[in-house]
Amino acid sequence: MLRLRLAALLGSLIFCAQVLAADLDANTYGFPITNPFEATIATTPPDLRSQVPANEDINQSDYDLKLRPERETELPDNFWPVKSLRYRLARQKGPAPLVFVIAGTGGHYASTHAESLKRLFYGAGYHVVQLSSPTSYDFMAAASRHATPGISSEDADDLYRVMQAVRAQHPSLPITDFYLTGYSLGALDAAFVSHLDETRRSFNFKRVLLLNPPVNLYTSVTNLDRLVQTRVKGVDDTTTFYQVVLGKLTRYFQQKGYIDLNDALLFDFQESRQRLTNEQMAMLIGTAFRFSSSDIAFTSDLINHRGLITPAKYPITEGTSLTRFYKRALQCDFDCYITEQLIPYWRAKYDGGSLSQLINQVSLYALEDYLKGSSKIAVMHNADDLILGPGDLGFLRRTLGDRLTLYPHGGHCGNLNYRVNGDAMLEFFRG
Amino acid sequence: MDKKALLIALLLTSGLASAQEADPDGFTQPLKELKFNPGLDQREFERATLDALNVFDPFESWNRRVYHFNYRFDEWVFLPVVRGYTFVTPRVVRSGVSNFFSNLGDVPNLLNSILQLRGQRSMQITARLMFNTTIGLAGLWDPATRMGLPKQNEDFGQTLGHYGVSEGPFLMLPVLGPSNLRDTSGLVVDFVAEDQINFLNVAEASSNHPEITVLRMVDKRYSTNFRYGQLNTPFEYEKLRYVYTQARRLQIAE
Repeated sequence: MLRLRLAALLGSLIFCAQVLAADLDANTYGFPITNPFEATIATTPPDLRSQVPANEDINQSDYDLKLRPERETELPDNFWPVKSLRYRLARQKGPAPLVFVIAGTGGHYASTHAESLKRLFYGAGYHVVQLSSPTSYDFMAAASRHATPGISSEDADDLYRVMQAVRAQHPSLPITDFYLTGYSLGALDAAFVSHLDETRRSFNFKRVLLLNPPVNLYTSVTNLDRLVQTRVKGVDDTTTFYQVVLGKLTRYFQQKGYIDLNDALLFDFQESRQRLTNEQMAMLIGTAFRFSSSDIAFTSDLINHRGLITPAKYPITEGTSLTRFYKRALQCDFDCYITEQLIPYWRAKYDGGSLSQLINQVSLYALEDYLKGSSKIAVMHNADDLILGPGDLGFLRRTLGDRLTLYPHGGHCGNLNYRVNGDAMLEFFRG
Repeated sequence: MDKKALLIALLLTSGLASAQEADPDGFTQPLKELKFNPGLDQREFERATLDALNVFDPFESWNRRVYHFNYRFDEWVFLPVVRGYTFVTPRVVRSGVSNFFSNLGDVPNLLNSILQLRGQRSMQITARLMFNTTIGLAGLWDPATRMGLPKQNEDFGQTLGHYGVSEGPFLMLPVLGPSNLRDTSGLVVDFVAEDQINFLNVAEASSNHPEITVLRMVDKRYSTNFRYGQLNTPFEYEKLRYVYTQARRLQIAE
């Protein structure tokens, strides 16, 4: 009897192992940072990163696209740098496949993760185009039709036009195939862009790789909003959170005797007595996202003349102080942006209904059938990613099967530059 | 039988361990362990950030115009020149140039470190100057850093700060970027001092050959990573202002 049970138990274990074929266990994986907050902030220790070419060895330039000429007059003078959309193209000498890289929430085409992905793919022989996120300041101002990001299908449509314009700007670039990737929110965008491409067929992407996508957009937004609500040790009536962190940094440098800012700084800092607690790191990560949400709230409001943050028709020149509008925008988290700007816009435009309807429409759920049936799409995710909620990984497992690779550690995008991840990405593209 | 017991025990404990760490999907719920503030006390981000935005900036309107001027100057003049410089000179020459000017900069570093009565630091900078000027061939090469003597920047603005002189109003300087009244005065003092000391005869040569000064400025831009627009926010000015102010406080305290 006991034997039978044992056999059944072992059998079910083996069965489980088969279902989870793409899961890596922590020992085999070897990623050294098991704290998800630390991984998110510091990413991979320098000597474990993918081998990539130095920036100086990459043949790359930035280009401008004029996609929304009407913004030239609509936007105030101090927006001059974002009246045309900039992107970066790294080109190989001869014919090569091209990868589009879409940045994450609020991310610039030249943000750290986009740059490191560029180096990886360029080093492996791809042309690479880096694009800002539809939620970023420059994209909203220069490329977005409605400048109210968050409706994934519309954001994908904007992105698609940008990609077509990029291609048209380089007619002589010899491209053999098109590939697509994105990280964080950029991965969700990539999924919707790929879906759009099935009907428009401008690129016929050969493979599409989603790196750490949100599954339920609202869960991710709620998680990120919550990160700045942690109880941080050292914060009191006279000391703010920034003062606590700066105080720690100051003491750290005093003990060290000199200031040296390099890639290994954060690891060294976390080894020191001044190390940050999980709550403090969560607060830092949340802060970065809250800065994005205030940029989105401000820019969307201004472009659409909604008058929620900047009074409509308020005169703004290059000398105008924006600080008081910034103060107002800073008090608007993602949830506030969704409630005050996104939902009213969505209801007016699509005759939309409840919040849960919106969530279903903009999250990966909306693409469930497409993701199930399309073997060219794969997802890489981390078991300890901060933007996920319970059930999200279950959805990915059911939908993608063995096209989901789940890493045990890495936090949110902290392992994108890890050698093992880099190899897996290139392997997937190689097919 | 023992083996079986062991196996069961192993399975049970591993089951327990993973139950604590991950749910059936393998998700480890990273936010679960965090301590959160109670509902009414969750505005620390807003409180801290609004506080951080209070920087003494009476010339803000002028400063912002200079910021936009610098942004354009960078895009249309500085960066294209740096790109040309990178294109025509081999990497070893560029790093030689950077090291040479960096070695020159150790003269005011030493001076200010002495003024702040920092004995050990002054000796380290003296050693750096000696090694880099001699073995490093007038500073073209930087053996001192490899020998464990890292570069330590001290300028007169820091010296003033060290003795408690307050920052004064925030200033955006044309081409040079963010500063404040104290650091701008410091800049002038360092400039005059360098001119008077005339180390390696560079100051005198520069007055006859302005191209040396131009090269120095190009090298400075070449070796500075900052790019306007890189922060990608409509509030870059506010962020630069805050970061500059805090970075200087950190340098003075260190």
